[in-house]
Amino acid sequence: MAKATTARAWTDALLVRRLTVDPLGLGAIILVVGLLAVFVLFPVVRVLAQPGPAEWMRLLTNPRWLRLSGNTLLIATLSTVSAVALGFLFAYATSRPDVPLRRFFKLVAILPLVSPPFMGGLAFILLFGRRGLVTYSLLGLRSDIYGWHGLWMVQTLAFFPIAYLTLAGVLRRINPTLEYAAQDLGAHGFRLFRTVTLPLATPGLVSAALLVGIYTLSDFGNPMLVGGAFKVLATETYTQVTGWGDLGMASALSAALLLPSLVLFALQRYWLEGRSYTTVTGKGSFADPLPTPGPVRWALFAGCGLVAVVLLATYAVVFVGAFAKTWGVNWRPTLENFEYTVFRGRQLWNSIRFAGIAALAGSVFAVVAAFLIHRKRFPGRVVADFAAVLPAALPGTLIGVGYILAFNTPPLTLTGTGTIIVAAMLFRTIPVGYRAAVAGLSQIAPSIEEGAADLGARPLRTLWDVTLPLIRSAFTSALVFTFIRSMNTLSAVIFLVSPGNVVASASILALAEHGDWGQASAMAASLMSAVFLVLLLFRLLTGGRMRLFEL
Amino acid sequence: MPGSAHVRLENVVKRFGEVRAVAGVSLDIARRSLTTILGPSGCGKTTILRLIAGFLEADEGDILIDGASQRGLPPYLRKTSTVFQEYALFPHMSVFDNVAYGLRLRRLPRATVAEKVRHTLSLLKLDGLEGRFPRELSGGQQQRVALARSLIVEPEVLLMDEPLSNLDAKLRVSVRTEIREIQQRVGITTLYVTHDQEEALAISDTIAVMREGRVMQVGTPRDIYERPADPFVAAFVGQVNLLRARVEEDGLRIGPLRLPVPPEATPVEPGRDAILALRPEAIRIGAGPAGGDGLTGQVVSRTYLGTTVRYRIELVGQSLTVDDHDPAGKPLLHGQVVVSFDPSRIRLWPASPEMLQQMEERT
Repeated sequence: MAKATTARAWTDALLVRRLTVDPLGLGAIILVVGLLAVFVLFPVVRVLAQPGPAEWMRLLTNPRWLRLSGNTLLIATLSTVSAVALGFLFAYATSRPDVPLRRFFKLVAILPLVSPPFMGGLAFILLFGRRGLVTYSLLGLRSDIYGWHGLWMVQTLAFFPIAYLTLAGVLRRINPTLEYAAQDLGAHGFRLFRTVTLPLATPGLVSAALLVGIYTLSDFGNPMLVGGAFKVLATETYTQVTGWGDLGMASALSAALLLPSLVLFALQRYWLEGRSYTTVTGKGSFADPLPTPGPVRWALFAGCGLVAVVLLATYAVVFVGAFAKTWGVNWRPTLENFEYTVFRGRQLWNSIRFAGIAALAGSVFAVVAAFLIHRKRFPGRVVADFAAVLPAALPGTLIGVGYILAFNTPPLTLTGTGTIIVAAMLFRTIPVGYRAAVAGLSQIAPSIEEGAADLGARPLRTLWDVTLPLIRSAFTSALVFTFIRSMNTLSAVIFLVSPGNVVASASILALAEHGDWGQASAMAASLMSAVFLVLLLFRLLTGGRMRLFEL
Repeated sequence: MPGSAHVRLENVVKRFGEVRAVAGVSLDIARRSLTTILGPSGCGKTTILRLIAGFLEADEGDILIDGASQRGLPPYLRKTSTVFQEYALFPHMSVFDNVAYGLRLRRLPRATVAEKVRHTLSLLKLDGLEGRFPRELSGGQQQRVALARSLIVEPEVLLMDEPLSNLDAKLRVSVRTEIREIQQRVGITTLYVTHDQEEALAISDTIAVMREGRVMQVGTPRDIYERPADPFVAAFVGQVNLLRARVEEDGLRIGPLRLPVPPEATPVEPGRDAILALRPEAIRIGAGPAGGDGLTGQVVSRTYLGTTVRYRIELVGQSLTVDDHDPAGKPLLHGQVVVSFDPSRIRLWPASPEMLQQMEERT
């Protein structure tokens, strides 16, 4: 044991000595590790350290908090199950080459990923709220439908695309020859599906459920908009901060959310690894999947079609709402809603600005961090790796509260600035770019880099000439993803905005809370359009070579 | 009716877009025989297998099993079973469950299933591996599990699609011997697809050589090797020397050399150009120069292979490969040598421009 420790210390010393030969590399490592420590680990530690014993006790004993925890678990479980079911429907349907309109369904399924997740909540209110198109204008009801039913539906539609993406990848990698073999042995129809296709997709289903679970547990926007009296931990955290100024209780609440998120995250990342059946089997002579039986084909088509219609209707409602004078009362078309919010306000511009900076800086950071952590050897790289993937498990509310706690006092006073918003956007999405870059790097044998070095290239030159071109796709996908997520994010930045730095998503929530549906819709429609325009621009700039979301 | 056609292909055509992958194939596969379709990649051999299994439907022609047309029958209703190139073992099932899969679909009693699985696994020397998963097996074991899974459903016809291509060279030889033994013990009609001519020669009762969607020759391994129907078959199965020659009244002329060959040995009429095929092992070689009936050539290179020495010899402007077997103790030859051969070992075809062009490309 002692011997091993000595040997370890010795190699560490050796590694450090090697690094001092490469001062630029050493500087980069210190910078990357430092930033991860300050902007990922430190806020989490602050949140966990904030609540006193009394607050922890209240969290565990007060029936109000217990009920909130129950609510959170209930809605997360329900939404996860239904979102994974819908995701599987779409993934299965679009994996069959003979299902009509499959390309259209692929597009529809990623639409909610590109638009703000609370689009659905907003549309739901416009349709079924107190002044809702269906409930008030058509049926004349004066009912209050805010609650878990509506939230369930909205969350299902908002998060099924995450399950879809996971499952589409899994189903695509299942070797079609296995279905041929089953059919050859006498299986067909549902029997074939149940004994072969479904079991092969099961690890994917579990993985998708865990991922969606992390999102539905900690989502903030939709419960805020349509939850009504049905409160969850994320919304209550916000109330504690804005209503009571009780950062201790807010910390305890977001910490309560952290535990299940971390468990799901750890299961998804470590337990499921290596449990997949979709290993590549090399060349296959039977490339095309079997034809889908007619009734199944049309059932898949009908299922996806129905969801597509509902989804597109929600977007249509928001866009119509944006142009209506007063929703539910005065339908005269007008541009006033845009006038007040989009043209005179700076919120949309703030969103684009902050998200753009976060995307650029974040992608560079992700790629550099991945390179350093996976190609250089230095003490503490395991911790650095953990810090780089951890934000994927952190509820947005926890990041929000953590940033307030961490950056409210010297030496790093950032609250009230745009920097803190950019930092929150950047570090929240770091895991995506980081993992993409790590995956890209793992496909590059170190010998390729060694080859360049052998031919006389210096480390930086190697990075520039050999490594970067090979992980460029990871960089661009990180860029696009970070931009979209940052444009649409609400839960973390809602705690960090200050007058002059308000972003579009936060302002939509504020407008909706005041009942300014027209202006909220106008802002949402503009936000969504801005995301699409930037995506389009980016696609043109990259010459259409950008691949995103399996498209 | 042993010996009668068990599977019959009648003028089968299969198109993929513009390409005729199978361009009118007729073939009889005898009951209880092991028939091999041999051909280079892209010749349509796997397509034929998929047509018989029912994964594809023929555009023209018909496929009969026991005289019954298979037209329109889905794979799960055909009495065929396929061993896939990449085995296609179900990764989520144990060896036992993989092998039992087909029986369970037929809703056999649990005890019967267990008994049959045990029997089949022991037939394939897989005893004790019931609980393993495919990823825990070696390549050869996976291969045998795939074979067990197909055999257990007692198909009328067993279809094997390059089953050895994922194994390493040494294993391939032992597994192919096993496959042949099991096939003969079970007595199952088998269609075997491969591009490996040695494999085909080793295990087949009948070989059908295919090229560009057509069957070029059907015969026993000896027929195919010793009496190839055309230069393509001769060149594809084993090593062969192809020489340009001219047929004369009393023999052959290769460049300035004259070769006395009795007229009955030449199916080509005198005065025409011909292509001559001669296996490397049919040629005798000795130190030269010498008179007699030998031809004088020049050693260009030689490769010592242990059991043989392979010489490349230039003979009046044409290249000739000659194998000298059992070279132990003999001096290696160089410079001028004498080559001679038994005229009965020569195969001769009228030379068409297409054939000559192919010969050019080969050299």
